[in-house]
Amino acid sequence: MAKKYSLNELLIIAVAREIHDYENVILGVGLPTTAGALAKALHAPQANLMMESGIIDFEPLVQLNNIADAMCCRGFSCATDLFSTFTMTYQGFVDVCFLGVAQIDKFGNLNTTATGEYNNPKLRLPGAGGASDFISYAKRTVLTMRGGEFVNKLDYLTSPGYLDGGDSREKSGRFPKGSGPSKLITQKGIFKFDETTKELYLSRVHPGIKVTEVKKDVPWELKIADSVVETAPPSDNEIAFIRKFAPSESLGKALMVELATAQFLKETEERKKSYTIE
Amino acid sequence: MSKQIEKVMTAKEAVNKFVQDKDHLIIGNYTVSACADLVFEVARQAKKGLTIYSQSGIFDVEILVAAGLVDRLVSTYVLRSGGRYGGSAVERALQNGTLQIEDYTNYNYNARLVAGMHGFSFMQVFEGIMETDLFKKRSFLGDNKYRVIDCPFTGKEIVVVPAANPDVCIVHVQRADKYGNAQYWGALGSVAAAALASKKIIVSCEEIVDHDVIKSSPHHTIIPAFRTDAVIETPWGAHPTEVVGHYNMDRMGYGIFQQAAQTEADLNEWMDEWVYGCKDREAYIENYVQKIGQKRLNSLKAKDYFSAPANYGSAFSSPWDENGRERSMGISPEEIEELMEERGLFHG
Repeated sequence: MAKKYSLNELLIIAVAREIHDYENVILGVGLPTTAGALAKALHAPQANLMMESGIIDFEPLVQLNNIADAMCCRGFSCATDLFSTFTMTYQGFVDVCFLGVAQIDKFGNLNTTATGEYNNPKLRLPGAGGASDFISYAKRTVLTMRGGEFVNKLDYLTSPGYLDGGDSREKSGRFPKGSGPSKLITQKGIFKFDETTKELYLSRVHPGIKVTEVKKDVPWELKIADSVVETAPPSDNEIAFIRKFAPSESLGKALMVELATAQFLKETEERKKSYTIE
Repeated sequence: MSKQIEKVMTAKEAVNKFVQDKDHLIIGNYTVSACADLVFEVARQAKKGLTIYSQSGIFDVEILVAAGLVDRLVSTYVLRSGGRYGGSAVERALQNGTLQIEDYTNYNYNARLVAGMHGFSFMQVFEGIMETDLFKKRSFLGDNKYRVIDCPFTGKEIVVVPAANPDVCIVHVQRADKYGNAQYWGALGSVAAAALASKKIIVSCEEIVDHDVIKSSPHHTIIPAFRTDAVIETPWGAHPTEVVGHYNMDRMGYGIFQQAAQTEADLNEWMDEWVYGCKDREAYIENYVQKIGQKRLNSLKAKDYFSAPANYGSAFSSPWDENGRERSMGISPEEIEELMEERGLFHG
């Protein structure tokens, strides 16, 4: 009997499968770093994992707190600076990068800056960080979305996907040929971009997810592949790795905070008791 | 001209002496090893009307904005705590119209510092930016946020950003000597560029070490002494963020701050306790031990994993060999004088 899994675990595993051996990989903050660890441990031991803070060729041993976390590993091969990591990307040395999405439109353009008015935002989101330059110059970009949204029109274009669709990205002359988002992976399925129109379409659904469930998240008439197949279910090895490496990803943030708070309160009680004894 | 030799002082003295109202102040650290002690001190001394530069303005920027000291912010990344239903001090200040922000990408922001650290007036950035709203929507920098010029060699359009030369940089590192040679390792980010682009540099460190330690590991020095204005020894100076080789990020301590940042009232309460309520870093750590416990603090301490020493040795450190003779010519000091006399080399 195969191991049971959560949709969050499935998302991470689907992302990890996008990393191949011997690739130069830029990992964004959050779930891509867990996916990177999984890939390196299970199927791509020679993948070169990199972070924009200048950490090159590292193997995560514990979950990362951020993209400048040099304490998640035991040493790494090259400590360069942020400037050089981006100029390496500009020169075409990065095979694949992974970015999280807050708002996405049908041509894979992204907003991670603000909703509403830029100067008087409804929601002020984190900002561009490294996303904009990576999606511009990495050979391919895999997008991940957890809790983000599909919109007809972005409030702010932070990171360029296929612009107005068709050949508009290529025609602008500002990006390497063939670059741009290759896939969007969510907790419901995997989306690709049409080769000609560059419009997002549903390529795969995760096991047990219905196409109608995916469609209701999308405000336009979502295109669907001629034959939508199910994502291959995760292997026991993949699930076991996530549980061991990143149990808080398995449990989810809310449950993790609940348990950590309970643990802290327990500690505090114990401290109080030990004071009374003294 | 070198700066004053005696640079060791307290955070209070350094901020009082080198940070002024209306300064352009840059946070030297990027995400990790945040100069928390110095940021708290700027807040306590209430230096007003600041323009803040921060590569990743999560922790530092929230505190300074919450303290009401920031008019303008140049950054690439700010806090959003609690997702859709959360918030941040930055968001509230933007909504109230008390803060102006200029957004850059990580590379664009860093390029401004790289231009600044080398004394150039601008730096080239990647042309893809022209397709984004970072290029199209401009705040207080207006036309000078980005400019487009023709490359004199290829004729192609290139995008450039102006150099940034902040008035003062505050930065936390692992170690420094009393002269101000500052050593930092780990994720290098834009730490050196932020410091070296600035007119004045305040360095806080986990420990002040002998100059000999610096001399045998110069590859870790990111700021040479002649550029540094102040050196502050402040253990746990970056808590609740992490310092490689000293302590891990305190997820509990950081989580309490992040949670508080969601509302103005909670963040003010947090500031009252941890920033205004502690006169210095020692008092802050005492409060932590009282409230959260020594055990938690101890659990963050790093176990050693030393870098293999780089061998800076050489075949000899004197021009004279073991017989007292010069290595290449094979003569003694006395013979040199005789020769000089003989060949008429002496003047007068």
